[in-house]
Amino acid sequence: MTWWHALIDAGAVAGGSGLGVWDRGETATYDTSIVEDSELQTHPIPPNPQPLVPNPVSFLNGMERWSVVAYDGVAQIVNAYVAVAVCRRDDRGVLHATLERSRAFAIAPVGRLSPALRALLEQGAPDIEPVDDALVGQPARYLEQVESTVRRARAHLERELADAATAALGADEWLVLDGLLSRSPAVARHPRALGVIKSHGAQFLEGRGLERALTLPAGCRTSVFAVRGGHTRTEVYSWYLRLWPWEGNDLLYGLLRVEARADRETVARASAVSGWLWAERAPLATPATRWDRLLYPLHHVEEYLKAHAPRSPAARSRLPVA
Amino acid sequence: MIEKAIPVAIGRVVATELKPATPHQFHFWTSIETPIGIGAIVKVEGFGAGGSGLGRVVYGVVTEGFAYSDLATPLHDVVGAEGDPTRPAAATARQEMRYWTAAVLRQTPEEPLQPVPLGQVYLADDADVAQALRMDTFLYSATPTAIPVGLYTSAGRDAPVYLDADFLLGPEAAHLNISGVSGLATKTSAVEFLLASIFAHFPAHKGRVAALCFNVKGPDLCFLDQPGNLSDEDRQRYERLGVPSTPFERVQLYAPLKADGVNLNTLRTHPDLVGDVEPLTWGLQEVVDYAEVLLNRDDIDAKADAFIDFLRDRVLGRTFDDGFGTTHRVQTFADLDRLFRSIFDGLEITAGGRSDTWRTHHIATMRKVRNRLLNISTRCKGLVTDDGPSSDLPWKEFEDRTVYVIDIANVDPLGQDLVFARVVSKLREQLERRELGVDAVVVFVDELNKYAPGDGPDTYVKKMLLDISERGRYLGLVLFGAEQFRSQVHRRVVGNAGTQLFGRMDMDELATPGYQVLTPATKSKLATLPIGELMVRHPHFTQPIFVRFPKPPVLRGRDGVERFPPAADVPFEDAVVRQLVRLDRRVRPNQVKDLIADREQDDVRRALATVRRTRPDDVLAFFRKVLGARVDSEASRPRERLAVPPLNPISDEPY
Repeated sequence: MTWWHALIDAGAVAGGSGLGVWDRGETATYDTSIVEDSELQTHPIPPNPQPLVPNPVSFLNGMERWSVVAYDGVAQIVNAYVAVAVCRRDDRGVLHATLERSRAFAIAPVGRLSPALRALLEQGAPDIEPVDDALVGQPARYLEQVESTVRRARAHLERELADAATAALGADEWLVLDGLLSRSPAVARHPRALGVIKSHGAQFLEGRGLERALTLPAGCRTSVFAVRGGHTRTEVYSWYLRLWPWEGNDLLYGLLRVEARADRETVARASAVSGWLWAERAPLATPATRWDRLLYPLHHVEEYLKAHAPRSPAARSRLPVA
Repeated sequence: MIEKAIPVAIGRVVATELKPATPHQFHFWTSIETPIGIGAIVKVEGFGAGGSGLGRVVYGVVTEGFAYSDLATPLHDVVGAEGDPTRPAAATARQEMRYWTAAVLRQTPEEPLQPVPLGQVYLADDADVAQALRMDTFLYSATPTAIPVGLYTSAGRDAPVYLDADFLLGPEAAHLNISGVSGLATKTSAVEFLLASIFAHFPAHKGRVAALCFNVKGPDLCFLDQPGNLSDEDRQRYERLGVPSTPFERVQLYAPLKADGVNLNTLRTHPDLVGDVEPLTWGLQEVVDYAEVLLNRDDIDAKADAFIDFLRDRVLGRTFDDGFGTTHRVQTFADLDRLFRSIFDGLEITAGGRSDTWRTHHIATMRKVRNRLLNISTRCKGLVTDDGPSSDLPWKEFEDRTVYVIDIANVDPLGQDLVFARVVSKLREQLERRELGVDAVVVFVDELNKYAPGDGPDTYVKKMLLDISERGRYLGLVLFGAEQFRSQVHRRVVGNAGTQLFGRMDMDELATPGYQVLTPATKSKLATLPIGELMVRHPHFTQPIFVRFPKPPVLRGRDGVERFPPAADVPFEDAVVRQLVRLDRRVRPNQVKDLIADREQDDVRRALATVRRTRPDDVLAFFRKVLGARVDSEASRPRERLAVPPLNPISDEPY
């Protein structure tokens, strides 16, 4: 018996065989307050063989793709593509794209390019996102800047389309977004909009509450807590929901954070909404790597966008050209 | 002004490195709700990369279908349902697709032959079907030779499919073979429909055509002149195909007599219909030319052949001295038996048993030939008469668009072989001389598994079928053969059939090597094909095509027997009366009965046969005359016996 088996036998929970997981990206700590209980509690989702799944529901997701396509000295010129779509689920459970928006653009340190190349770039790629010329000499930081530029462009597009989608929602129609609800005030205040967050870089809880959230059993949710808005965010209510057992995997396995309008009604129906999302575990969003946290309809939207995206230059053969 | 509907694409060609498009095959996807199915004909209008496929049109037939979802492994579905198959379906349907494989039927332009471009896929309309199956060449020519074989009904279409008469009835190719399991009435029905279609569409410039069908089981082909029950749907199909939905106008049915020599050996003996049935009886002259049919493989030797030739050339129909002091004139089996007895007696008595040879022929050879020849008159009594005249098909007077049915369902197998051999030989002989009365004859033979098996001895009938298959098309002698197991029919018989039809097939049969060219999906479709659907292979079609044909416009055999139950055999006197009344309605039954009272039945039969053959104006007077006169060929000599008994018809003795 190994020493960790001894720990597990003594009451520790078995972990996965991997390196342990914590999400990259945003790592801020937010100010929160519990709005459902006096302290963060665990609430089992009421068993319901026929969970109330709203109909119709629209799902919003986006994708991004970028690659360095040319060099002017060490200046890296990037071709980027972001796209966002909304798919509505019909009575038969089939998803149909209803809204779609995309942006293809170049990212380049325009001021550091040679005049000839700059002229060609400006002529061939009318949509250019400039990068700080000073970073050209630091390729690693330059690429981080490129990545955040692309992500920002995608977030902007998602916000625009979410605004359009909520404005077009039918009387009983819901909108489920992949990501933060709180980026757009209009969306964050909509009574039938949900944000489903599967990345957990940002920390909202601490101490006993954090432990309860991260060791939440499958089929349970936490109490609802309010997330105070930062300078770019509108206040929303949120709770954690575990879709699949984390034991034997990692703390974030199957863990979602749900965002909804900051309203008492949200607290009242948190369990019902959790039951709905619990029912959305099937079909599995395989072969996506994060299928444990990715709802299949959102995975579908992503696949739809990928199918429509222009071919990635990175996919070209790296074999030498004769 | 007629506005043509703009076709709507129903799919798109896709090609991957693993499943590329080739000049003979391509793959495409459609939406889930699609009218496409196995056998559907589609058209691809290509654009390809950079418009490379522009102007190229490809026609294909769907040969395989697949359904995919994005489920990576079945285990994921189990996990999603938490191992509970009763769990309600998920709110979201998995992304799913229909993916089809099609075999290329035709490309335009045909050269250079290139892989199918990545184009849009459309359902084929009537004009596309004609193009795809290359029917345009014989359908829209100055002298069209199109024969409708059915309707292409896949994907909700209703397009007529035609065969090329030059390739169905010669001279380019010929013959048709149809396979299918028994009991679904598909094979017989298809041939009946196709004959009706041929009669309606056989081009005038190709001359006159008739059909001759051997009815080898039950009442299958006994009611071709009686209307069947057609649904409105069937009538619409007839209209669409331009074939009249009426029974055959001209049908002549022939059946041998039963052993009593007066009642017909057929199931069409209902009083309302029996009058249309002609007796088929043959005498020695008709049989002896086909004596080889009666000899099995062990019998075939040069000696027997030589003796039969001797009889044929030197004895039959001639005055002949047997060398023992008796002169013979052999015209009937009875005459032949007398000759043999005279020879055997002569060798025994006159030669004192010291010689066993007569005119260079050994007595054993003669006994063998005698046994075989005389046995037939016993085994096929009613078809073969011991003596007396024959009643035969209207040789040299075959009529255009007429079906001749020979009912040999209840005849001894040896007799069936004899009928088949003689009829086909006569057809061939008269077609060669262009004196049959028609330019082409379709011969329909069911049960090829029995008559032309792939293994087993080389019978005379099998040789004849091979001969028709290989040389018939030059003569206008066309074989329409049917069987249950195509794989077990002689490969040259099925291989020479230019057109092949397949009804519902047995899976075991489909597992044989002859069906390897078909995809599993096509085999599945064949194994579950509904009544009235066929798969067609024809020289113009590069791939098998599924068609639906209407129910034949004639009464099916089983229905015919129910509607017209066969009459019981009538007594000898009544049967004679019936036959004479049929020839002349003025004949009074009592007059006939008085006339034949106390007369030998053989005398009455001979007289009746003579009347049938002569067909006089005054039937009764002629009957009285021939009955009163000596009808036997040798009037002066008293008859030795009433009939010729076989020497030993069921003996195991080899001769």
